[in-house]
Amino acid sequence: MNKIARLARRLRQRLWHTAQDDRDLDDEIAFHLRQEEELRAGRGLANPDARIAARRDFGNVATVKEVTRDMTGWHSLETFVRDLTFGVRLLRRSTGFAFFSIVTLALGIGATSAIFTLFNAIVLRPLPVRDPDRLIALSFVAGGSRQNNFLTYPLFDRLRAANTTLDGIFAWETRPRMSARVDGHNEIVSATFASGSYHDTLGLRPALGRLLAPSDDQPGNATSLVISYGYWQRRFAGDRSVIGKPVTFGDFTYTIVGVEPAGFLGTNLGTAADFTFPLRASTDGSTAQPWNSPNWTWIEVMARLKAGTTHERAAQEFTSIFRSMGPGISAPSTAPPPTVFVETARGGGQSSIRRNYAQRLRLMLMMLAAVLLLSSLNLATLLLARGEARRDEIAMRLALGARRGRVVRQLLTESALIAVVGGTLGLVLATWASRALLRVAMRDTAGIAIDLAPDARVLAFTIAAAAITCVFFGLIPALRATASVNAAWRHEVRSRRQRWLERTLVASQTAVSLVLLVFMALFVRSLQNLWARDPGYVRDKVALFATDAELAGRKGDDVRRTYLALLDQLRALPGTTHAAVSTVAPVSTSAYFVGGVGRLGNKDFSGDRRIRVATNFLSPGYFATLGIPLVAGRDFDDRDDATSPKVVIISERLAAKFDGPAVGQSLESSSGVAEVIGVAKDNRYATVKDAPRDVLYMPMFQGRGSVGYGPTFVVRHQTDSASALHAIRTVVTAVDPALPVFRLNTLEGYTRESLSQERLMAATSSYVGMFALLLASIGLYGLISYTVTERRPEIGLRMALGSSPQRIQALVVRDGAGMVLAGLVVGLLSAWWLVRFARDQIVDLQPLDPLSFALATAVLLIVAAGAAWLPALRASRIDPITALRHE
Amino acid sequence: MAKRQRFENRIELVQGTLDMLILRTLRWGPQHGHGIGVAIRASSDDALQIDHGSLYPALHRLERQGWIDAEWKISGNKQRAKYYQLTAAGRRQLAAEQSRWNRVVDVIARVMKSRAPTKERA
Repeated sequence: MNKIARLARRLRQRLWHTAQDDRDLDDEIAFHLRQEEELRAGRGLANPDARIAARRDFGNVATVKEVTRDMTGWHSLETFVRDLTFGVRLLRRSTGFAFFSIVTLALGIGATSAIFTLFNAIVLRPLPVRDPDRLIALSFVAGGSRQNNFLTYPLFDRLRAANTTLDGIFAWETRPRMSARVDGHNEIVSATFASGSYHDTLGLRPALGRLLAPSDDQPGNATSLVISYGYWQRRFAGDRSVIGKPVTFGDFTYTIVGVEPAGFLGTNLGTAADFTFPLRASTDGSTAQPWNSPNWTWIEVMARLKAGTTHERAAQEFTSIFRSMGPGISAPSTAPPPTVFVETARGGGQSSIRRNYAQRLRLMLMMLAAVLLLSSLNLATLLLARGEARRDEIAMRLALGARRGRVVRQLLTESALIAVVGGTLGLVLATWASRALLRVAMRDTAGIAIDLAPDARVLAFTIAAAAITCVFFGLIPALRATASVNAAWRHEVRSRRQRWLERTLVASQTAVSLVLLVFMALFVRSLQNLWARDPGYVRDKVALFATDAELAGRKGDDVRRTYLALLDQLRALPGTTHAAVSTVAPVSTSAYFVGGVGRLGNKDFSGDRRIRVATNFLSPGYFATLGIPLVAGRDFDDRDDATSPKVVIISERLAAKFDGPAVGQSLESSSGVAEVIGVAKDNRYATVKDAPRDVLYMPMFQGRGSVGYGPTFVVRHQTDSASALHAIRTVVTAVDPALPVFRLNTLEGYTRESLSQERLMAATSSYVGMFALLLASIGLYGLISYTVTERRPEIGLRMALGSSPQRIQALVVRDGAGMVLAGLVVGLLSAWWLVRFARDQIVDLQPLDPLSFALATAVLLIVAAGAAWLPALRASRIDPITALRHE
Repeated sequence: MAKRQRFENRIELVQGTLDMLILRTLRWGPQHGHGIGVAIRASSDDALQIDHGSLYPALHRLERQGWIDAEWKISGNKQRAKYYQLTAAGRRQLAAEQSRWNRVVDVIARVMKSRAPTKERA
């Protein structure tokens, strides 16, 4: 027999005990006895005597077999399978318990894993590039501005040339929408314009063809571009002949030279680009703006540190390079000196999604961890009760000589069975739920590029969650059930004092669910408050959409004419009362525009006293359309054209900073000097979450040249929303079929979408709170029912002695009240301490909002009363005769 | 009285020495359980009367520990028998146990020979 076969046999023997092993032992011993018998017979003993002597010398054959079998080990796998089949049989016999416990765990684990999947994708997951830990993102401060992660091109260029700490540096600009002619068809695509070492610094390998190289990134060399893997699959179905196909963008025609690797979704979370162009290729060699401007901050910069270089060292070097560049961004004397900052870009560059969601997701994970704890406490309570029910069985097994460890192991196998089934269902649920959550959270940004495929980390998280819960809810009851053989065997009726474990578990459940209910109340009320806030405009009966004439191929003054024609057509629509257009929508998810004001009338605000203002460019009729009253002066009108003096309208807040009435005075801003012709009532600029700002409204059609970014049209209508939205689409197509329509929706719809994060919090906390309440009430109900069953004889006796049903009910309810009140106190204290972590998410409320706390307490008390009263009712209906006879 | 006589003539096995005896017996080649029992009895001139039954738990334990291997073969008288043989690990184990045994015997012998300890003044 060779070594491997021997090893395999030994392994098999350890794991599994077969009937053949038994037969072999029988044979072995039989052979021994025959041999011994022959030996003795050979010495002259008569055959029967020889057999008896052989047996006598051998000892008790049965015992020897028994002991020998034990020597060959525990047959771990066999024991496990036996425990497992026993567990399955038990669970199938009590389907109610099985169903409840599996569903509880699946919901608990599923919800937690779903949020963890999002958290993983948004916060934890590193960029799928080589050695992401060495990537850094750059930002800077100069001239008293805020820290800015958009850099100037000269700064980037200088850092690229002069640094000694980097293995590579690249700059990029993203354009979410761009019109291009791809392989003969006009399309709207998203693009990244990246400097030459973009792909190389990230350490990416092409899925097909080649990626960009520094030689592509030369002025006037508009020849090569790379497409993303997703776009390749979507648009070309992964066709390998895509290399060499032409893409026309503006005045240039590029050729597709390669495909980025699968899984790479760009450097900024959530903004995947279909195309990656070389940054400087489509320009001539001139050094005009933006390439030489020390004031235009427009590119993002990432770099790869040399191995062993620290962030501090790199930041120091970059800062000294920056300072050596001489006067750059107009700096007031008192401003801090120009400084470059460095932070890790392991997960990519700056991302508004990450910024907005990181803290919320952490909070949600905390809440869900609490629910998982609750599920596990709940199952522990149930299993304790089951352990009671099975104590005869367990006591019998212990009395027959089963070791305690063996019984505990068997009980744990049963819990593990529940955990595995629940955890698996939970994982399935999580994959589905995380997608649904993302849709709820970010519906406004269709096709947001976040990879939610469950990776090893999500899997490990789920397994760990299931395993920890399993040990938690399984071990305590198992230890308890096997603790005292004698007590169980004597059928002692346990006193209430002995139930401290169950009572503590139920009290903890009450506490946890109260905390979650408080959070739920706070978040739901915060959402209501946001919704009820006065935005400063009239929200209903307004429809909005964005468009971009440049994407339809219009240029220069043609763009302006297209928008004016569109406005005329919209105003002529039956049912429309007003229509206007602005660059920033009243509710907007994209960046807003800021500027600085240096002089108001005769008051000087230059230098570091400069007023930060939000700016917006409007057509006439904007205020009327949105129902924003003008508190002084007039609206823009047709008089304000390219030849007339420059005019602005300002917000009330900004007007208050003037000496005297603002209308008629002039102000100086980044866009020059203009006369104030009107003051608009304060409103919430761009989002209802914002406080009213200092706003500068400028006429959209007074300047020359491009209008800039695709503007948003606002239409006030008298008809119902659906027909208004339909009519608007028809009008746009009538003006120019090539004009795209983006985000056509009502202002209410816009508002709802802008509150998606808050809605997600409210929805999650509601799910969590309700689930927690349900679990806690089931736990309470279960324990009290059990106590009632156990106290049947006592209750029967009390009734026989003349106790009224009401008194019996009070007796039972009082039993539960102690636990609930204890839980309530602990819960209120914990909630009082924990709300500080949610302070940022609580809007227009005190964190210790008395109403939220009161509501949570009231709901909990009502449900708990219900859960206690049902068993109480049953107790009061016990027939004393039956109860006593039973005893 | 006859019974008592028998007991006095027999030497009870010190705990754990059976393993060593089995390993030593197998040093001369593969052997089945009965053969091992007979060999131990014979080499001790029948002074060691081990219960043959106790051989089997020991054999199976040694097999599990990897010190001996087992194989079913046809014995001299054409019967199917399970033969045990030493493995390399078993050989090392035997050497270790032998030296340990020698030390124990030495120490015990010394203890048994020594006189009462002489007192010393501090």
